[in-house]
Amino acid sequence: MRVRNWAVAGFVVFMLASIMYAQFGRRGRGDEEDVPIPADANEATEFVFTRLRYPSYRGGSGMWGVRGSWSTDYPSADRHFMQGVRRLTRLHVRSLENVVDLDGDEIFNYPFIYGVEVGHWDLTDAQCKKLREYLLRGGFLMVDDFHGSFEWEVFLASLSRVFPDRPVLDLDSKDHIFHVLYDIDQKVQVPGMVMFYTGRTYEQDGVDPKWAGVVDDKGRVMVGICHNMDLGDSWEHADLPRYPEKYTSLGYRIGINYIIYSMTH
Amino acid sequence: MFELLFSYPARIFSKGDIVFLGAAPLWALGIAIGAATAGLGLLIMRRTSMPTVRRATIWTLQSLLAALLLTLLWQPALRVSSLKPQQNVVAVMVDDSHSMTTSEGSSTRLDQARQTLDSGLLQKLSDRFQVRLYRAGSGIERVAKAADLKGQQVATRLGDSLKQAAGEAATLPVGAVVLLSDGADNSGGIDADSLAEVRRLRIPVHTIGFGRERFEKDLELTQVELPARTLNGARLSAQVSFRQNGYANRRARLVARSDGKTIANREVLLKADGRTQTETLLFAAGNPGPRTIEVSVEGLEGEENAKNNSLRRLVTVETNKPRVLYFEGEPRWDYKFIRRAFEEDKSVELVSLLRTTPNKVYRQGVANPTELEDGFPAKAEELLAFQGLIIGGVEASYFTPTQQEAIKMFVDRRGGGVLFLGGRAGLADGGYNASQFTEILPVALPDRKNTFHRDPANTELTPAGRDNLITRLDDSPEKNAEIWKKLPYLANFQELGTPKPGAVVLAEALPTSKGRLPLLVTQNFGRGRVAVLATAGTWRWRMLNDHADTKHATFWQQMLRWLVLDTPSRLSVSTPKTVLSDESQAPLRAELRDKTYLPVSDALVEARMTGPDGITITVPMEPDPLNEGVYNANWTADKPGSYLAEVSARRGDEDLGKDLVNFRREDGVAENFGLEQNRELLEKLSSETGGHYYKPAEINKLIEEITFSEAGITVRETRDLWNMPIVFLLILLLRSAEWFLRRNWGAV
Repeated sequence: MRVRNWAVAGFVVFMLASIMYAQFGRRGRGDEEDVPIPADANEATEFVFTRLRYPSYRGGSGMWGVRGSWSTDYPSADRHFMQGVRRLTRLHVRSLENVVDLDGDEIFNYPFIYGVEVGHWDLTDAQCKKLREYLLRGGFLMVDDFHGSFEWEVFLASLSRVFPDRPVLDLDSKDHIFHVLYDIDQKVQVPGMVMFYTGRTYEQDGVDPKWAGVVDDKGRVMVGICHNMDLGDSWEHADLPRYPEKYTSLGYRIGINYIIYSMTH
Repeated sequence: MFELLFSYPARIFSKGDIVFLGAAPLWALGIAIGAATAGLGLLIMRRTSMPTVRRATIWTLQSLLAALLLTLLWQPALRVSSLKPQQNVVAVMVDDSHSMTTSEGSSTRLDQARQTLDSGLLQKLSDRFQVRLYRAGSGIERVAKAADLKGQQVATRLGDSLKQAAGEAATLPVGAVVLLSDGADNSGGIDADSLAEVRRLRIPVHTIGFGRERFEKDLELTQVELPARTLNGARLSAQVSFRQNGYANRRARLVARSDGKTIANREVLLKADGRTQTETLLFAAGNPGPRTIEVSVEGLEGEENAKNNSLRRLVTVETNKPRVLYFEGEPRWDYKFIRRAFEEDKSVELVSLLRTTPNKVYRQGVANPTELEDGFPAKAEELLAFQGLIIGGVEASYFTPTQQEAIKMFVDRRGGGVLFLGGRAGLADGGYNASQFTEILPVALPDRKNTFHRDPANTELTPAGRDNLITRLDDSPEKNAEIWKKLPYLANFQELGTPKPGAVVLAEALPTSKGRLPLLVTQNFGRGRVAVLATAGTWRWRMLNDHADTKHATFWQQMLRWLVLDTPSRLSVSTPKTVLSDESQAPLRAELRDKTYLPVSDALVEARMTGPDGITITVPMEPDPLNEGVYNANWTADKPGSYLAEVSARRGDEDLGKDLVNFRREDGVAENFGLEQNRELLEKLSSETGGHYYKPAEINKLIEEITFSEAGITVRETRDLWNMPIVFLLILLLRSAEWFLRRNWGAV
């Protein structure tokens, strides 16, 4: 009898988890199987959109600990975005995305990397050291899609070990990063798909979008931080009729500016 | 021996003419010899008892004897010009410079010269000629006696001294010049003008050499080549040449000091004795302004002359920053990292244009918000304002024919440096071989597309690249070559085709599939320079090396300095020597161009000369009639110290530009160099003027020979030749030979 009770309880928990996964699963595992491989996926190009794979922080309370990972929106956001970059710039871009981690030296072949849901990252000391070296050599990290004060703290917990000596600075609207190709003077919060469930453009307590960065000794942005916004969704859902065009437009312009900035500064 | 057999020295024969004093004409001698040999032939050939070979031998010997005797009948003689006793002047010039005080055993060279004069030379010359004694240094000065020679002249200029002696010959019957010297001339030899002047007057210069022709243990710095000007923060490459005896296979230290502070030092292995060795020394130029760089070789003990181990040069470190325009046709990683390399460089200003979209160009480093707002300069004048140009990853057709012409003019006429980069839209793939770039490129590009490959390629330096200012990542050429081999592989490469004649391949790409391909090629074109780097993948040298590694930045900084360092401004002034060692003449040369860099010859060009005493004098510079746009002036630096020439050019109210050059005069230095007897110079001087070189022990021959000269007041002498011992010896030999043969053949 007791065993049967435990089995029923287990089944209920499993079903509840399945329901939760249905809500957040696409964010957690990615949807690679849904997106066809482009015909020119193997073309050798100057630029390869490279996503950072990192170990996730599994602390926190409630269901927070099971959501969020490096592969959120992967790979459709990447591929959509690269199509846009191809169309809008002269940059020679590969249609297929790429993934690197901080455990080997492969990352040094890709001077631009994109980190998503970094409010969940949990870098080891060795990975912090590798990331620091990467950035000091001239690499650029763009982070996006993390929200609220708790995820900010998680993000900083690793970043402060990458650069204990460098503060996170708010980026001024006059910074070159907002003008290198498009003049982005009017910045608004770019929401993720979650707005359709919550009715709000923000998540958690991340009401105000934060445009921040870590700069090197010459004032060049090494880490471009897009907090309280979800540019990845604006790329991924560019062709979704119900996703507002104004957010997609801004998301693409920000993403392209960050890439061009990383290739010019 | 020659004089014993021929009665007179060989040189008298070379100076005189052979004549025949007999009354009969010379053709009669020929007939007589012919008749005698024919008659002897008839007589001898009729004696059939003797074999033909023997008869021919006898005939030859007898014919030679007959010819000799007949020649004597025509009274051969030597007619030679000789100086009339007591009516000619012999100028005895003694090198009285400091080098003559060099010790040669127990006495100095000057002691030996004085002794030579006092032990008979002056007396014997005085017996036949009027003798004038001079001390020679920068010029000549008459002295009464040998004891007046003190060895205090700070320099030796044999050419100037001889010119002065030739000047005196215009008013005096100078029959010959006798020069007592070690041949250590500080002006680098005797110039052709001075030599021609002496030769025109037909004055033979007899030289007597003093001093060792080779020191046993000595190292002498013979040359230090450094550019007269450089960029702020740039590294300088000094080519240091030296020669040594007695220290082969030993190690010495090359040291460079700036204003007394050591700025570079390097150990070198000394090569074989007597060979000139050239080594490179690299160092930072230092802060803006004139910098005195002293280069020396140290670490050798027991040198016979330790004062010839260092040389000084003056280098002006420019305050202005040359501007380089970098046009990039598409976003590329190399663009970013090249810019970063520049940001570490204080000496060059980089203005870059990046074509981010088909119609947008992103500008960085512009001087003001409007500069280049329309993209690549449409007018030549706008482009010519830059000193260097980089063109990367853009199709040739992007540039209008006018812009292509302006780029060509930028190199050819303006004298700028251009670097073309490889890329999917660059070089052959970008249609460069069907553009005006074809002419200025250092390579003949392949006549096809798809030459750009995004495949990895290693790099190696060619022998020319191992010791080149662009590619030098280490002072040692061998280590440098190793460093390049170990650089991270390039992200891509491009096929360049064939280097043109005159182009220099500095580095090669080694892709896994295509053998070796030229990677970095340079050449001069017109007044400027062109380089092509067949890759856009050097960024991996930055990302694949530690963040503190400077190889990528060093390469690009050197590359870009090469582009701009020799780019002249519209007005550029120069002087051949930045340090005048015991000399005073400083020729100034200014080259003036207009806004389109065409020569300007109708301007007012002046040099404001400021000397060590602070006094400023304005000197007009005259247009050179043979070189358009060139102006010359000569300045006499009459005091030791630093001089500054500020040159300005005007045409009416129009200011055409300003430039300046620094130089120094240093005294008491030159005589420490070239202390070995320069016998080659003395021999050349005497042979070119009809004189002869003697050692001090051979002065008796000099007395004999000096009589025969065509300069001064001469008389034609005729000297008999019939009584030369060689004549009698020949007669005896011919008769003895015939007798000896006949006896052997049993015919006697």
